Amino acid sequence: MKRLRVLKLGWEFPPLINGGLGVACLGLARALAKHVDLTVIVPQSSPESDSEEFELQGLNRLSLKSLKAAEERYRYESFAQVQKVPVFLDPYGNEESSTDIYELTHEVIRDPLEIFSETTAEQLGTFKLGALYGPDIGSKVIEYSKIAAKLALLGDYDIIHAHDWMTYLAGVEVKKATGLPLVVHVHALQYDRSGAGDHGWIYDLEKFGMEHADCVVPVSHYTGKIIIEHYSIDASKIRPVHNGAEPVKAFETKKKFPEKLVLFLGRLTSQKGPEFFLATAARVIAKNPNVRFVVAGTGEKLRSLIESGAFRGLGAHFHFTGFLDKEKVNDLLSMTDVYCMPSVSEPFGLSALEAAQFGIPAVISKQSGVSEILKGALKADYWDVELMAKHIDNLLTDDKLRERVIKQAKLDISASTWDAAAVKVVSIYHELAC
Amino acid sequence: MPDVCLYFQVHQPNRLLPYDFFRIGENANYEDEAMNREILNKVAEKCYLPANRMFKRLIEANEGRFRIALSISGTVIEQMQLYRPDVLESFQELVASGGVELLAETYYHSLAFVHSNKEFERQVELHLQKIEEVFSVRPRVFRNTELIYNDAIAAKAEMMGFDGIIAEGVERNLVGRSPNFLYRAPDTAKIKTLLRNIPLSDDLGFRFSDAAWPEYPLTSEKFAQWITECDGDVVNLFMDYETIGEHHWDETGIYKFWESIPEAITEAGLQWVTPTEAVELYRAAREYSCELITSWADTERDLSAWMGNVMQQEAIAKVHHLENKVLSINDADLTDAWGKMQTSDHFYWMSTKSGTDGGVHQYFTPYPSAYDAYIYFMNVLADLQIRLHRALEEKGIA
Repeated sequence: MKRLRVLKLGWEFPPLINGGLGVACLGLARALAKHVDLTVIVPQSSPESDSEEFELQGLNRLSLKSLKAAEERYRYESFAQVQKVPVFLDPYGNEESSTDIYELTHEVIRDPLEIFSETTAEQLGTFKLGALYGPDIGSKVIEYSKIAAKLALLGDYDIIHAHDWMTYLAGVEVKKATGLPLVVHVHALQYDRSGAGDHGWIYDLEKFGMEHADCVVPVSHYTGKIIIEHYSIDASKIRPVHNGAEPVKAFETKKKFPEKLVLFLGRLTSQKGPEFFLATAARVIAKNPNVRFVVAGTGEKLRSLIESGAFRGLGAHFHFTGFLDKEKVNDLLSMTDVYCMPSVSEPFGLSALEAAQFGIPAVISKQSGVSEILKGALKADYWDVELMAKHIDNLLTDDKLRERVIKQAKLDISASTWDAAAVKVVSIYHELAC
Repeated sequence: MPDVCLYFQVHQPNRLLPYDFFRIGENANYEDEAMNREILNKVAEKCYLPANRMFKRLIEANEGRFRIALSISGTVIEQMQLYRPDVLESFQELVASGGVELLAETYYHSLAFVHSNKEFERQVELHLQKIEEVFSVRPRVFRNTELIYNDAIAAKAEMMGFDGIIAEGVERNLVGRSPNFLYRAPDTAKIKTLLRNIPLSDDLGFRFSDAAWPEYPLTSEKFAQWITECDGDVVNLFMDYETIGEHHWDETGIYKFWESIPEAITEAGLQWVTPTEAVELYRAAREYSCELITSWADTERDLSAWMGNVMQQEAIAKVHHLENKVLSINDADLTDAWGKMQTSDHFYWMSTKSGTDGGVHQYFTPYPSAYDAYIYFMNVLADLQIRLHRALEEKGIA
């Protein structure tokens, strides 16, 4: 078989943003590069993430000149009437959601095709500074799609592979410009972030991207089911591929206090279900006061969680660490007795695998992708705090159960590698390319 | 015309380190010593040292006609002993001038009365001992933390042997009567209650440097004139000592004002008294009934500055919950660490009030937010609980 040439469209890329999306893109890119010639286009990249394994193109490091040859050959189609998109998303913000109402006045341009297709220095410049998310993410998504299409015209590729909604428009643009097959990878959905009722611009873009895609790759069967049920996508083109987990150097630290430690790790947003962790903690502590619960992370729910904890009288047993860097997270994992992930909707849940690498038994919500991998983990519906509390209590008191859960998790994670994921993705590429 | 009674509060809390989760069980040092030292140094230079010098000079120059009262918390005395013995000496010299009355309070500037009679007594006793040891005097008038007061506190102070007690002259209890008289609390025999004159005290404590205030700039003559127009026996001007030079900087003319006030008052035909003198001079003919607790803090003048939200309520309840354990272990270090955690400022910094009062809370806080104040405090509390537990195990009590 010939070595395929793949154009990968990503948004986050370490070390610039260390969210789950970036980590997954990097992990998959490295493993894929062993099988295919890979070019990755991202809005921003830092020179330290350049690699010999694949070509990384950050628009922040791109010159206008290099697009010149493609300008003639390209006409922008998708959103030609719209100059400004009133969408706001900042998945890493700490502010509670604003009540500002964005005015929905799209500025319509008279001669869209002429003005719109060409990339200006100013447009390219927006990728050089500022955040990847925030008030102008809508315009960034559109500009990114135009530039990606031009870059695609300048190279030779067999497959386009786009990661999450920010790049779906670009994926469709590239497909329209080149006629190449499109794979869209679904790491997270607006459904996960905002629930089933949120049908805004982001939902529409997700649906648009998945409809135009030749293959949809969700990170779990759980997410695949949501794509069928909530986005009405044809089930036959959905091919779930579980994420891998980079092996971490696990170690153990002796706690400086006698109590057991139960950990929640993640952003404090509704999606991650921190309120359910709090409610679970209240039940466990009422029965067994020799337990400390730790919430590591920050987010819009932090203040209301602190207040709820105080109201329930959990302070001094329920701790908040705020945002922690990787090193501190590992310190924390090294002394954790039980990991709890009560996510309301979790496409994957890499952190549960990382915890498993530290030999920590997990209690996870059934509404998560990782529950398909961690067969031995104790599971409950995210809202079932009674059962969640019972699981935690059992793991803290029943050593045999604890050993069994840890042993099964070790087996499960040994199969969860990026190499295994890449093999599945490459076979999808070959089906589409021939 | 009424007499004028002047009392200043001197207090500094022991601010906690940004004590994160990883310190629990490992770090038994709770205080941000560098910050406490730095703030004491700053306040000493701006207020304590120059104000002490000024008042000593004024007391001596007025040959006994000018007198003031100070209440100095146990925590600030400890800080001075630790970081600035020279500042404590300057207070001792001021007191030795003979024109200063010292008042009694809770050693840790705490809300102990609200939670535990026993702990309240312990802290008042501790403070009396400290004042006696450092200044060789025994106070006769009691002022509770931030003028936290009700009928029960007055009765308690009487039982502990005090002749007078200080309270905020709150309109909802005065119901139209003047704060410029001494009052009797219900169910007390002889203790007299002195009420702070709110508008006149706040003219000096808050409004003095406000250029938007119609009376700005305030001169000592004008202020003395206002007092001559007052009814009653004694006008009580009570405020923080730090208002001189620290809240109102030297540039606002605050020192010039205080320099000239003793003479302005005498010129106006008025005379200075201390709280104990007021208690001896005047009858408390009428009853001042105060069932619900009042204080001098915030617009509400109640406990909401320290116990207004769930974080404050939980933190303070959890601290006092440790009382029996702490006292049964009877370890000096642990008891002191526990006492210092009762200092009212810790809870004051956890306030989430907004508006003008919220601004005052934020002015004083050493932390980025009320939530950080709560998190650090609760982590320290968790560590203290662990130490208590270990101590109990060693003693074989657990």
